[in-house]
Amino acid sequence: MTALVLALIVGALFALGTFLLLRRDLIRVVWGLAIISQAANVYLLAMGGIAAGTFDSVPVLAGHDAGAPETADPVVQALVLTAIVIGFGMTAFALVLSYRVYEEHDTLDVSELGDHEG
Amino acid sequence: MDPELPIVLLAVGLPFAVAGVTPLLFRALGERTGYAGSAVALICFGLLGSQYGSEGTVELEWIPSLAVALRFHVDGWALLFALLASGIGTLIFLYSPAYMHDESGLARFYAALLAFMGSIIGVALAADLIAIFLFWELTSLCSFVLIGHYTEEDESQYAARMAMLVTVGGGLFLLVGFLLLSLVAGNVVGPASAFDLAAMLEQPDQMQTALRERGLFVPVLGLVAVGAGAKSAQVPLHFWLPNAMAAPTPVSAFLHSATMVKVGVYFVGRMRPMLVSLEWLVLFATIGLVTMTVCALLAVAATDIKELLAYSTASHLGLMIAGFGFTTVLGAETGVFHLLNHALFKAALFLVAGIVAHETGTRRIADLGGLRHDLPITAVITAVVALSMAGIPPFSGFYSKELLFEAALEASHVYDIGVLGWLYPAVAVFASVFTVVYSLRFLALFVGDRPAGYSHVHRPSLTLLVPPALLALLTAVISVNPELAVRAIVQSGVDATAVDTHELHVGIPTSYSPAVGMSAVAIAGGVLAYPVYGTLHDGIRAIPRLAPPVSANWWYDAVVGTLTGSGRWLATRVHNGLLRTYATWTLATTCALTLAGFAATSTVVPTELIGLDADAAIALVLAVAVVAGLAVVLASTHVAGVLTLSILGFMIAIFYILASAPDLALTQLVVETLVLVIFLLVIEEIPEYYEVGLGKVARDGVLSLAVGATAFVTVLVTTDARPEGTTEIARYYTERAVPEGGGTNVVNVILVDFRGFDTLGELVVVALAAISILTLIIMRSGGAGGDEE
Repeated sequence: MTALVLALIVGALFALGTFLLLRRDLIRVVWGLAIISQAANVYLLAMGGIAAGTFDSVPVLAGHDAGAPETADPVVQALVLTAIVIGFGMTAFALVLSYRVYEEHDTLDVSELGDHEG
Repeated sequence: MDPELPIVLLAVGLPFAVAGVTPLLFRALGERTGYAGSAVALICFGLLGSQYGSEGTVELEWIPSLAVALRFHVDGWALLFALLASGIGTLIFLYSPAYMHDESGLARFYAALLAFMGSIIGVALAADLIAIFLFWELTSLCSFVLIGHYTEEDESQYAARMAMLVTVGGGLFLLVGFLLLSLVAGNVVGPASAFDLAAMLEQPDQMQTALRERGLFVPVLGLVAVGAGAKSAQVPLHFWLPNAMAAPTPVSAFLHSATMVKVGVYFVGRMRPMLVSLEWLVLFATIGLVTMTVCALLAVAATDIKELLAYSTASHLGLMIAGFGFTTVLGAETGVFHLLNHALFKAALFLVAGIVAHETGTRRIADLGGLRHDLPITAVITAVVALSMAGIPPFSGFYSKELLFEAALEASHVYDIGVLGWLYPAVAVFASVFTVVYSLRFLALFVGDRPAGYSHVHRPSLTLLVPPALLALLTAVISVNPELAVRAIVQSGVDATAVDTHELHVGIPTSYSPAVGMSAVAIAGGVLAYPVYGTLHDGIRAIPRLAPPVSANWWYDAVVGTLTGSGRWLATRVHNGLLRTYATWTLATTCALTLAGFAATSTVVPTELIGLDADAAIALVLAVAVVAGLAVVLASTHVAGVLTLSILGFMIAIFYILASAPDLALTQLVVETLVLVIFLLVIEEIPEYYEVGLGKVARDGVLSLAVGATAFVTVLVTTDARPEGTTEIARYYTERAVPEGGGTNVVNVILVDFRGFDTLGELVVVALAAISILTLIIMRSGGAGGDEE
């Protein structure tokens, strides 16, 4: 089934993230990265099919002998969980890198930094 | 008698194995490594010699699923070439230590030379198209390393790059030809041997008919011609060979006269039984004779002895290609016999050139003369091999050139080729006149008086003299008794390359025939033209000066220069150091490729009706997230931006709860909190920065909308293509979570049990990020502001 609502949301988040990615302020570039990775996570989850949150659809089995009921796709959830953690590492690193850049060059203007590189 | 696989494998593999340990060998033996290489080449020669007289195919499984095997076919033609390579290799390794005395980079030199010998034996014996291509390109690669031996010199680098570009580029044409050939072969000889050249050559007529039915005959012929022509320096791709003379002389003798440049000729001979036809005749006879003529003229114009020999090599390669081009059995006889003769006399001539350059210190033709006084033995060697090159009876080159004249005369007997029927013999004679002229010029270095240019000529050492002397001796033996060479190996080579069998007989002609007349005209013309050598030399040199586009080198420089220039221009536009430029190009290209991919597979239109797959709660939460995102974009201060970014993150966390993913929600909440704290800590240190410029906002807006639209279309298309219900892999993990992982939380079991190593990798990434952050904050020294802390 096509996911129109999710497609609209993911598209909008990608557009906003891209816009931030192109700013001259390095901090806003980091925000852009963060928003795009959030949007990518939503997309990944949508690919597994979104099941409305009920007791049965959560991929946690009722007990050790409860059999295997139909649940939301646990594989995409494992993927997204990894992606969230990696995204966190990336955002934190990018942020501290920007901070260090500011310490070294006294500016966060990407165009000025480009001139520094020559 | 069938060949034996272990022996064949050893002959191909041994040089590679020794090449691998050459650095160690060099540490132990020093400059004497060359003698070890000589021993290796001699062992290969012996191994190949033990297969003398055998014929058949042996194979080792390689990629059975693709019907690719390490398949070797041994017959007279393959053995002739492989024995030449290892035999001349033995002499080259013997010659090198004295010639390369006191030079640097010798370990690399010998390793590349050994690897080259392995590749050339491989290409001679290989019978699988993929294996042939592999060995073929390996020879080009080794040639690149050896031409660029003097790594600091611009001339070496230029020559090595040029040889690489032309020969490897030609090899790619050959690869396409091979793939087309295997398409057809799969139907003719069976899919299991689609790459088996030996099997194809067993049914040459069926292969040619099948190729013609598929309309692939001319493409395959053309692609093989480009590949072989590039490798064997045929006009207009001949220009790399004279430049390759930047390599040390032993390399020139081995690679660029005796073996590597003959690979193209060898392969043309190999394919001959399958592809021989009218098109074959016109294509190869024309290419060969044009090359023979043009390069003979250029050899007369050469000012450097190695340049003269290089052009003459290309000219003789043209002779062999033309020989194979003629469809009668005489053509095959020309090609095979001249390949043998040329390898012997030209390798000897290069080694002589090496001795001259080594002992006098110059290679300029104009500065040399009267060398027989100082180098008497070398002078005798030169007399034998130079007269053989000129094709003067009774020297060996005469016999094979006589065969070419006969083949050229007979060309019009088989096919009706109109005016070409008499043009081919005429051109062959014309080119031979200049062959005689430049051969005599080379010989003239040794006669007459010494010019005043150089003071003292050293005596060459024994190891410099023995290799060319042996080659000259072999040339002399073939000259005196050509039937000996024919019986020993040439006849079996002819049988493998000719369509019908024919007993080859050569000897000094005892009665007049048109071919004898042609030989007489060529030799007389050459001798008569020799006194005006100076005028010819200057006249030919003046042509490319007056009209640069005549020379192929000019075209190479123009093409490579344009490519380099436009590449540099593109790099300054795309790689200008500004982050936004990189992001713009990357994103725009990704979007364009993605949308083009969807358009090409016409999946842009969703097949199902668009449905609202998310319920109201999810839609609402995500709408809030988008609004928060908008607020981030519009935020005027960093603090406002960070806080609204946080709202977005928490909304996503709620979305995870609603989408039955409690683990994700928990992780997201923890991560969002941490990110908020880190952001606040950092931005406290940083001043505000305000955006500027409305024009750029408009441009960025367009790109952002494009990226957003691409993401929108991608989600629509991919979710539409998703299979209904639970996937097999999801069921697999859900069913085995308890029995195999012992846990009820399927996501956790996947992460820590089934995909434990992936999670470990993820932890390593986070740990690395943490260490890097720590490093960035704490370790700040040496920089401009290092004294602030």
